[in-house]
This record gives sequence, C-alpha cells and structure tokens, in this order.
Amino acid sequence: MSPRAESKFVAIVDDDDSVRDTLQGLLKSVGFSSRVFESAEQFLGSGHYHDTACLITDIRMPGMSGLELQARLNAEHCRIPTIFITAHGDEEMRFQALRAGAVEFLPKPFDDEILVESVRAALDR
Amino acid sequence: MDDADKFKWTTRPTRAVALRYGLALLSVTAALGLARVFAYFHLPQSFGTFALSAIAITFWYAGTAPGVLAAVLSSLVRDYLFEPNTSIESRLLFDLVFLVFAVLMTRVARVRNQLELRVAERTAELTQLNESLKQEIAEHNRVEAALRLSEAYLAEAQRLSHTGSWAWSPPPGDIRYWSEECYRVQGFDPKRGQPPYEVFFQTIHPDDRARVAEVIERAVDEKKDFKFDYRIVHPSGEIREALSVGHPVLDPSGDLVEYVGTIIDVTERRQAEKERERLREAQADLAHASRMTTMGELTASLAHEVNQPIAAAVTGASTCVRWLTRDSPDIVEAREAALGAVRNGKRAADIINRIRSLSRKGGSQRQLVDINEVVLEIVALIRNEAQRHSISISTDLGEALPKVMADSLQIQQVIMNLIMNSIDAMKDVDQPRVISIRSQSAEDQHLTISVSDTGVGLPPQQADKVFDAFFTTKSHGIGLGLRISRTIVESHDGRLWATPNTPRGASFYFTLPTKVASAE
Repeated sequence: MSPRAESKFVAIVDDDDSVRDTLQGLLKSVGFSSRVFESAEQFLGSGHYHDTACLITDIRMPGMSGLELQARLNAEHCRIPTIFITAHGDEEMRFQALRAGAVEFLPKPFDDEILVESVRAALDR
Repeated sequence: MDDADKFKWTTRPTRAVALRYGLALLSVTAALGLARVFAYFHLPQSFGTFALSAIAITFWYAGTAPGVLAAVLSSLVRDYLFEPNTSIESRLLFDLVFLVFAVLMTRVARVRNQLELRVAERTAELTQLNESLKQEIAEHNRVEAALRLSEAYLAEAQRLSHTGSWAWSPPPGDIRYWSEECYRVQGFDPKRGQPPYEVFFQTIHPDDRARVAEVIERAVDEKKDFKFDYRIVHPSGEIREALSVGHPVLDPSGDLVEYVGTIIDVTERRQAEKERERLREAQADLAHASRMTTMGELTASLAHEVNQPIAAAVTGASTCVRWLTRDSPDIVEAREAALGAVRNGKRAADIINRIRSLSRKGGSQRQLVDINEVVLEIVALIRNEAQRHSISISTDLGEALPKVMADSLQIQQVIMNLIMNSIDAMKDVDQPRVISIRSQSAEDQHLTISVSDTGVGLPPQQADKVFDAFFTTKSHGIGLGLRISRTIVESHDGRLWATPNTPRGASFYFTLPTKVASAE
C-alpha cells in the first residue's frame, strides 16, 4: 500500500445504514479506513471529498443518485476512483457508469473479494 | 212504622199521599153508595160487607194509614147512617170487627210491602247481574276478536317467516299442536289433520333421520333444549332445508310434560348464505388478483428491498470470515460482524414475510389492529418504489390512537393502492413530488387516514368517478384498485373519499370505526 493511500480514506455513500455499516466493517477487516455518508449531498457537503482515495456508492438513493454524484465530481475535475454497488443494476447503467470512469460496477450482493481488490487497486493508484 | 213502611212513605211523592187518602174516602163513599143501592132494591147485603171491601182495597192499594182512615170512616158511617139506633154493645162489636180487620190488613199490607221490596231488590240484583253478564259477554267478544286478530297476525307472521310452531309430548307421545305453517313447511295437507309423530319423522330425509333421532333422544333424556338442521322430502320430491328448535316444559316436580318449539324453513336463507359466501369469495379473489397485480408492479422495488439486507448479511458474513482467518484472528470483531449478518438476515426474512402475507389469499380475518403499524409496514415496502420516481413519503401519525377491529391485510391493500395511485399521479409532474400520509382520531369514534400527493389531481368535476369500477387514467391500470379499496373500507363500516388539493394533487381519506375496539 502506498504512503498516499494510508493518508486517505474510502468514502461509502449509501442510504441503507446496514449496507454502510457492513461495508465499513469489511474494509476495516482488511485494514482500510473509511467514512460513511447517507447521501450524495452529505458527501459533497462534508468537504472531505478531496481526501477521498476511493468512493463506494449506491446508485439509487433519495435525492442525488450515485451516477449524478459521479457526474458532479467529474464536472469538478475531481477524479475519485469510484466503485458502484447497486441492487438495480442493468447493462445500460453499468456501461454508463464505466464510461464515466467507474473502476467497478458490482450488483448486490457482491463478492467481497472483488470489492476489496477493487478498493486496493484504487488506493494503489 | 217498620223499615218497609218507612221506605214506602219516604219514597212516594206528596201528590201520591193525597191520592192514597183520597182512595180511603172514595172507597168508603163507594161502599156507602153500594149499600144504599142494595138497600133500595132490598137486596140482602149490609154496609159492613162493602165497608170491609173498601177497607181492604184501601189497605192494599193506599197503605196502612189510609186503610186505618177507611176503617174509622166506615165505622162512623155505619154507626150514624145505617145503624143509628143499635145498642152500644152492637156498635162496639162492629167497631171491634173493623179494628181487627184493619189490624189484619195492616199486617197483610206490611207483608205485601216486604214482598214488593224483596222483589224490587231481587229485580235490581238481577238487573245488575244481567248488566254484568252483558259486559262480560261484550268483553268476551272483544277478547275473542282480539285473539282471532292476534292469531291471524301470528299465522301471517309464521307464513312470512316460514316458521311453524308445535307442541309434542315425548315418546311415545303424539304431536299435540301444529300451526298452519308447520303443515306447509313439512309438506303435509292440513285437511288430513295433525300427522302422527312417526309420519312426521318419515318426511325427514333418510340421511338425516338417525342424527335427528339421536339429538331428540338425548335432549329428552336430559330434559334439555334441542336444535338441529335437517332436510325435508316433500311429497313432490322437492328437498327443503329446515331448522327445528325445541324447549322442554316441566311440571312442578320436574317431570317432562311436553316439548314446545318451532320448525323454520331455511332453504332460501341457506341459498342466500351460499350466494353471499360465493360473492365474498369472488370479492376476495378479485382483491387478491388486484393485490398481486400491484405486487407485480412493485417487483423491482421489492427485490431491492430484499436484496439490501441480503447483501449486507453476505458482506457481514464475509467480514466475519476475514477476521477469523487473519494471522491473529480477532474474535470480538468477527462476532460483531456475525451478529450484523444475523440481524440483516432476519431483516430480509421479515421483508419476505411481509411480502408473502400481502400475497396470501384468504378470507377476512378481523382483529385489533394498530393502524400506524399497518401504514409503516406498507411504507417500508413501497418507499423504494417511490424513490425510483424521486418521490418522498412523509408520515404524520397520530399518537396513542385507539386500535381498530380490521383485517390488516385488507387495510394494507387499501393503503398500498392509495400510495401506488399517488406515485402514478406524480410520475410525470415537476418537482416537488411528495406523498404525505396522516393518521388521526376523528369525531364519532373514528380514525381518519389520509394519503395526499402533489400529482396530476382528480378528473375535473368528477372526483368520485375515480371510485367507479374500470375507471382509470393510467395506461397500465384496469381501474379496480380504488373500487376494491372502497369496498374494503365500507365492509369495515368506514368511508373512502377524495378531494382535490391546491394548487395541485389529490387527497384520499378513509375512516375506520374504533367503537368495537374501545368496547373491548
């Protein structure tokens, strides 16, 4: 793990608290620090997104969606490696996310190994 | 003067008194005249004979005092007009005769007066008795007429309600009384008289006889009431359904005297019940079909609802394994992750159960229901569907609301229909898209639940049309959701209606009574 990765954290954005908590627990088990946000608006308003090494976000949420959050970050030239997790994923959505720069698009329930490796790859960038 | 005389004197008018004394004068004068006439013709009659007649007539018709007056006058007339020269002894003898005669007549008159009085009293008694008898006869006629009328009403009531009444002395007794309706219900000809018990029993459907006999036998043994359904085979072959109820009549020593009871033809009632049951089943089928249609529309959202906790449980389990397979396993962290997985697994199971209960098909099951719980359960299932369309759901649920006696599945269906309608009404409108659900106590022991939206609103001038069957403004609906919802609410003795919102949208309200719940 690079020194840069150690100073930054993984942001988890999901409106479902059980998903947020379990994701944070998973990342903790592999030694990654993380912060949780219950909405895209809360994440953007936190002022921390420049310190975010990796973003894990749900797609469908009340208010701003995960794809809209990605577009917003792109518009601000804030290229955070983004991993989408969704229970509503279809191919079109997956294509749209990956084209916009997503590093991974995982349907729920996802393989924890793939997620961990994706996060690790993002942090090692 | 005795009581009888006194009665006579005091009851006769003054004019009558004058007439009575006048009769004394007249009768003595007549005796004098007749004695003169007889003497003129040398006939052998003395004044004394006529005088005695005059005294007797006066006593008889005018009473004692005028009679005495007649005796005195007769004595004077005889002494001074007919026998002026007789000896004093002779005069005294005649006077004594008149006196004795007068005394005798006085007694005769008294006896007669007493007789008259007794006759009058007896006549009065008889008159009174006669009057009483007349009144009794009139009363008897009135009672008889009322009884006949009452019997006619009873017979008519029995005919209308297909209920016959009977009295039966227990085995081996006979039927003591059968009302007209019993003949009709049981299929007997009234002209043939009351049927023997055995004949009545033969009209019971062969398959029911053993059961009926057993019920009656047991009731008679225990001197208890009985009640049984049975089928009657009429002479035409038609089979009717009947219900018989019997009640034992016991004498003061507790011995069974007879049974009295009724036979009710329940054929039409049973058919109506079967029809109602078929209708209820059809309504339940329709409601179920409608619910399944809505559930079909919600498939994606419901899958998401189930998927979320499953995903969290899987991640939690994976995390647990990671903590345990580290070089130095962390049991505390692993335990925490495992507990999270269990929690999320249960949550998924809860959601699946909720979906399954909505999918179940069953009859109405009323129980005390917390309406806020029902609202929250449905909101939990539909919230994701609303989010899919950028619609937020807010709830404002009254505190400490009384429970309602309701079928929670049916009420869930109503709330689900209303929320789904609101979602449909807001899909194509600009922001904001908000559904507000409120519950509160209303007047007259009712709860009011409302679902308001900011959608396209109700059809102009025909707000109530939305509750008509097959009325729909959606491309995918069949127009039964609101119709079924209203049927459900009305079957709970509530009301469902809609009003337009300002500046846009609609509010749907329904009420449910809390009276039954609070009475318990």
